Amino acid sequence: MSVTKLAYYPGCPSDATAMEQDMSTKAVFEKLGVELVEVEDWNCCGAAEVEDPELVYALNARNLAIAEKEGLDIVTPCSICYYNLERSNQALKADEGLRAKVKGIDSSLDYNGKIKAKHVLDVFVNDIGLEELSSKISKKLNLKIAPYYGCYISRPPETGFDDPDDPDTMDKLIELMGGEIVPFSQMKTLCCGGPLMMTRSDIAFDMAMKILDTAKSAGADCIALACPLCGMMLDGKQADIEKALHVEIDMPVVYITQLLGLALGIDANELGLNKNVVDTKDILGKVV
Amino acid sequence: MIKTWELDPNFKEEIMNERGGEHLTACFQCSTCTLGCPIIDYVPTYNPRKIIQMSLLGMRKEVLSNPDLWVCLICQTCTARCPQDVRISDLLGAIRRIADKEAEAGKIKIESSRPIFDKAFQHQLAKYGRLYDMGLAKEYYPKREGSFFKGMMAMMNDYKDFGMRMFKKGKMGPKAMFPEKVKDLAVMKKIFEEMGEK
Amino acid sequence: MGIAVIGGGAAGITAALDLANSGYKVYLVEKNAELGGKMAELAECKVGLSPKIVEIENHPNIELMLSSELESLSGSAGNFTLKVSGTKVEAESVILAPGYDVFDNIAKSYGFGSPDVVTSLDFEGMLRASTASGELLRPSDNKPVKKIGFIKCVGSRCQENEICSTACCAYTAKEVWVLKERFPKMDVSVFYMDIRVFGKDEELVAELKDKYGVKYIRSRVPEVIPERGSLKVKYEDLKKGAIANLDFDLIVLAVGLLPSKTLGRLSEITGVKTDEYGYVETSITSPLETNVPGVFACGTATAPMKVRESVAQASGAALKAAILAQRTEPIPGQEERKYIEVGDEQKIGVFICGCEGEVSDSVDIPAVVEQVKQLRDVVLVNGDTNTTKEVLEAIESGIVDQGLNKIVFAGYTPREYETIFRDSVAKAGLNPYLLEFVNLREQCAWVHDKAEATVVAGDMLRMAVGRARYLEAIQIEQYPVIPKALVIGGGVSGMNAALGIADAGYDVYIVEKESELGGGLRETGELQSGEKASDILKDLADKVAKNKQITVYKNAKEENVSGRAGSFKANIVGDGVNEELEFGACVIATGAKEVAPEGYSGNDVITQAEFGKMLGGTVSANTIAMIQDVGVGVDAKYSSIELVANALKAKEKNHNVNIFVLYKDIKTYGKWEVLYKEAREKGVIFLRYETAPKYEGGIVSAFDVILNDDVQIKPDLVVLSTPTVPAEDNERLSKMFKVPLKKGFFMEAQERPKMVLTPVDTVNEGVFICGSAVYPAMIDECMAMSTAAASRACVLLAKNFMETPAVSSVVDELICVGCGVCVDVCPVEAIELTEELVPVVTFGVATVVSAMKKVAKVGDGCIGCGSCASYCPSSAMSLKHFRDRQLYAQLDYAL
Repeated sequence: MSVTKLAYYPGCPSDATAMEQDMSTKAVFEKLGVELVEVEDWNCCGAAEVEDPELVYALNARNLAIAEKEGLDIVTPCSICYYNLERSNQALKADEGLRAKVKGIDSSLDYNGKIKAKHVLDVFVNDIGLEELSSKISKKLNLKIAPYYGCYISRPPETGFDDPDDPDTMDKLIELMGGEIVPFSQMKTLCCGGPLMMTRSDIAFDMAMKILDTAKSAGADCIALACPLCGMMLDGKQADIEKALHVEIDMPVVYITQLLGLALGIDANELGLNKNVVDTKDILGKVV
Repeated sequence: MIKTWELDPNFKEEIMNERGGEHLTACFQCSTCTLGCPIIDYVPTYNPRKIIQMSLLGMRKEVLSNPDLWVCLICQTCTARCPQDVRISDLLGAIRRIADKEAEAGKIKIESSRPIFDKAFQHQLAKYGRLYDMGLAKEYYPKREGSFFKGMMAMMNDYKDFGMRMFKKGKMGPKAMFPEKVKDLAVMKKIFEEMGEK
Repeated sequence: MGIAVIGGGAAGITAALDLANSGYKVYLVEKNAELGGKMAELAECKVGLSPKIVEIENHPNIELMLSSELESLSGSAGNFTLKVSGTKVEAESVILAPGYDVFDNIAKSYGFGSPDVVTSLDFEGMLRASTASGELLRPSDNKPVKKIGFIKCVGSRCQENEICSTACCAYTAKEVWVLKERFPKMDVSVFYMDIRVFGKDEELVAELKDKYGVKYIRSRVPEVIPERGSLKVKYEDLKKGAIANLDFDLIVLAVGLLPSKTLGRLSEITGVKTDEYGYVETSITSPLETNVPGVFACGTATAPMKVRESVAQASGAALKAAILAQRTEPIPGQEERKYIEVGDEQKIGVFICGCEGEVSDSVDIPAVVEQVKQLRDVVLVNGDTNTTKEVLEAIESGIVDQGLNKIVFAGYTPREYETIFRDSVAKAGLNPYLLEFVNLREQCAWVHDKAEATVVAGDMLRMAVGRARYLEAIQIEQYPVIPKALVIGGGVSGMNAALGIADAGYDVYIVEKESELGGGLRETGELQSGEKASDILKDLADKVAKNKQITVYKNAKEENVSGRAGSFKANIVGDGVNEELEFGACVIATGAKEVAPEGYSGNDVITQAEFGKMLGGTVSANTIAMIQDVGVGVDAKYSSIELVANALKAKEKNHNVNIFVLYKDIKTYGKWEVLYKEAREKGVIFLRYETAPKYEGGIVSAFDVILNDDVQIKPDLVVLSTPTVPAEDNERLSKMFKVPLKKGFFMEAQERPKMVLTPVDTVNEGVFICGSAVYPAMIDECMAMSTAAASRACVLLAKNFMETPAVSSVVDELICVGCGVCVDVCPVEAIELTEELVPVVTFGVATVVSAMKKVAKVGDGCIGCGSCASYCPSSAMSLKHFRDRQLYAQLDYAL
């Protein structure tokens, strides 16, 4: 196997709202025999709230520099963290002046562009590969799944690792695990509304509703995703959406790392499947 | 009626000098950004193409006080599809920052609470190096509502169900109540001093 | 040796034929198993190109190398050695015509995989299928399509393909036109950014909007959403300032053009340099020359372009290549031919061709064969052929082996195929006028359903056999070709055409009405590419002056033109000159001129040309308003390019100058798109108007449709793009040379409506047109077109003799009463009345007595229109090949 050791960047929600994503990521990599070394003393990537690109670059130069010292590529389960890490990586790599400027702030930001930032989904499908995964999968997911990619997996094209309009990395992985993809292609990359949650929750709820409703109409057992902000909107806020829009949805939302963990035969509690807000019991029953 | 001589011909340079605004003038007004934007279904007046044309012409005041600036999701759909690489997500970020500075200087008033939220978020980063949800809420709600008391009420209203839900799942335990700090806080401070909004 | 043409698409075919028809050996190398390239995939174009492919397949001077690729090239101009799929080929020069590829990395957002979203190329196939079925069906469910949306600029003017593909606006308009002609009720919308069409295409778009009710909507549509069984498209309704939706049954993506995928390898093999976009690098003044002497490039190898420009370049490249080569082969049709005597016994052979399904799909050929077999004198009926090649072989063998002496062919249209078939019949030894042509494809198969078509085909064939029984061998007269050319107009195009012809070894006369050469370009300062116009003119004028084969007449005009292709006469009248010149071919290169638009006055109002000159010195203005496309005249192809180039130069001089451009459509086609981008990046502001802007009291006012608001500018300089009008002399020349004008510009001969494969040929054979006399164009296009005109002229001049038209009128002097009606009706004044000594007819019997009487005499100019024959009160006048008895027989057999 080409990948044996990676620097792990958990991201801020990893010990709170998205703890099940963190748990499942660690469990899956362990099962796959890939050692994760947490980026020592990592800091926030800037999320969507830091809009100044150079501030983002500076924040992430530190994270990248720490991993670079270990000589490891960084992997993260969060799409926004991935976008910020990788765009910083590319900008710093390409622009010597920028590197110097960032380094000028503090010597700990001295990053030389020697590593890459990766999203877990990319590592699973493109680095480890479907063939390798298939040899380790022991259970079949007898599930109809709506694969939801959100924004940063395939956009913008410089950092995206899949088709911007109709990505299929997650589809391939789900099919490998025996899951059935429901018709969902127009929703795959539509924004979940998350960035407006705090300031225009009316819009954010409507947007999330559109995605949940499409998955439900398509007969999905669950939505699979790969970003804690999307998870917060679609899972954490689902009850608020139901209340605000007077609807009943009851759509389980799980992280792709959790699904992969199930297929690899890892215990559901170890994957944090009891931490998802919308109950996931029905799903577990269909893993055989 | 737009009288071009009353406008600010330097506005486009002002935007282009702001980080993320560099590609403004590449725009050829094709509507790709507007037509693909997921927000237009909810905010029909939102039109990034028009914001760009007004910026090019120098309609500084109209652009900076446009409330639609703050509904952008930064979802990158426009950036991914733009045929001229205008990098609209970043560009609107640049315009928002100029608007925010203008508002800080008391020259315009921004209705949206988004700059308050974004700044509160950044303050957490500068202080702790990581996101501290409680700290963010404690700063954001009172500022948004104009008083500590009103802010707390609003926060309670937003969080009572959600918080309980999270608590039940063990996601809002003591770890979430206290900030998790980066050890090297000095460098976080330096980053925000050097690169952050002055 | 010979000339190697790499690529067998429209351009390669054109170049190969021009060369082979003037006596050069041609190696035509095509990587596919068939000729035709991308054009063969286009419904209308395939029809136009097919006869040329047949001509190539039967051409003795062309060695066709199909499924072959160029592997190596060594040597130098005049002495190249090529390896083509293992075969060694020696050639004096090489023409690269690899064509283009279509942009195929289409965003998934266009339909998310719906089969009802098709590319323009797929749509051509659907259109072709609809000819036979009479219906346009949706791929997903085979339901009739009622609403179609066309989306332009898919894969062009974007990050993946920076430049404009040039051809899409026009080909979309043509597809829409065909569609609306065939399905008048079809609801059609076209989404666009700028409508980049010129001249006739511009008229077509106007017609589509006004007459056909096609909606042209300005929006670059980024996604097509399948929703409830239809396709939803969002667009900006600029007038309402809102987002609107339209639903369609079918979406056609007008995909952009990319350089051919093979060009990269061709470039490695030949050493020909490509530019940053992957096209062969050429210059604005030498659009056909590559960096390797002796290797030329044409068509979409050099830039994305339409078919007409592509084939013009191909003809031009052919001449350039020919100049380096030796003529080694006989010219077809120039050999002595003897025909078999047709005795009393009629042996009619009937050949019905399936036309690759185009006839056999609708007509039950075996049933028709059975019917025809019963007809008198028919000794052979063949209904087994399916292609031109097969049927030509069958006809030849019928004549040679079975002694057929009358041939009836039923299948393709005579419009494009008659020459090939007559030639083939002649080669087999039969007088070519003993061939009867039945247009079974267009006049029967395409217009009737299956049951009806077979009945009609039977009728048509019966009539043809009836007529064939009365066909007569026609004596064909020859006259020598005068190996000299006349070029009218001494501007860039005229001088370049003259140099081309002279370099090929013929004498050329240039007639220029002004006192010096140079034409319209004398008014231009710097070209858009940065070269000085005066340098280009000086270079050309020096070459003309040095060339001993060129005679220049200045301050002169041509008068009293007479004759026909190969042998013209004209008087040159001017300052102390009055000479009669004889020439075999003529090139019209009269150019065009700019006229300042009215309604904008003031000392601060100048034209773009004037501004261009001003940019050579100082520009003091702080705010400049540029107004495009106002006034009466046509929008020259260089107009938008000149505008953005000047705006850029002004910004370079003073980056603080405010430039506002008020435009309708920015037409920076092809690689010029990057100039437009640069202008925007330098801060030039573009505002789009629909109603002409006003300039009053120092303020320019316009309604900007993009902002949906009135905009006012206080400029200290107003720069107007000047519309172009045709040269004044065109009207007079048009009459004299019998070449029709459209809006004052010369019209090319069209094979089919809205399609041009011979852009420099006219309806009057031997008279060619080029440059801004056809349409005001950029320098590179004028250079390519004038070389093309020279090339076409040289194909004619290479011949030793021409034949007079066989189909002409004849007088039966015995019956002619000398009334002169024929003289009055003849459109070309070819008939006169003369006194002749003729036998006198008394009481219906010719006597031995002869007497002087007035009779009509048909001269050389007869074009065989038949007017005189139909008007003649005494039936003395008849048209060869259309004799009364032939037509009556046709009628008899119909009944």
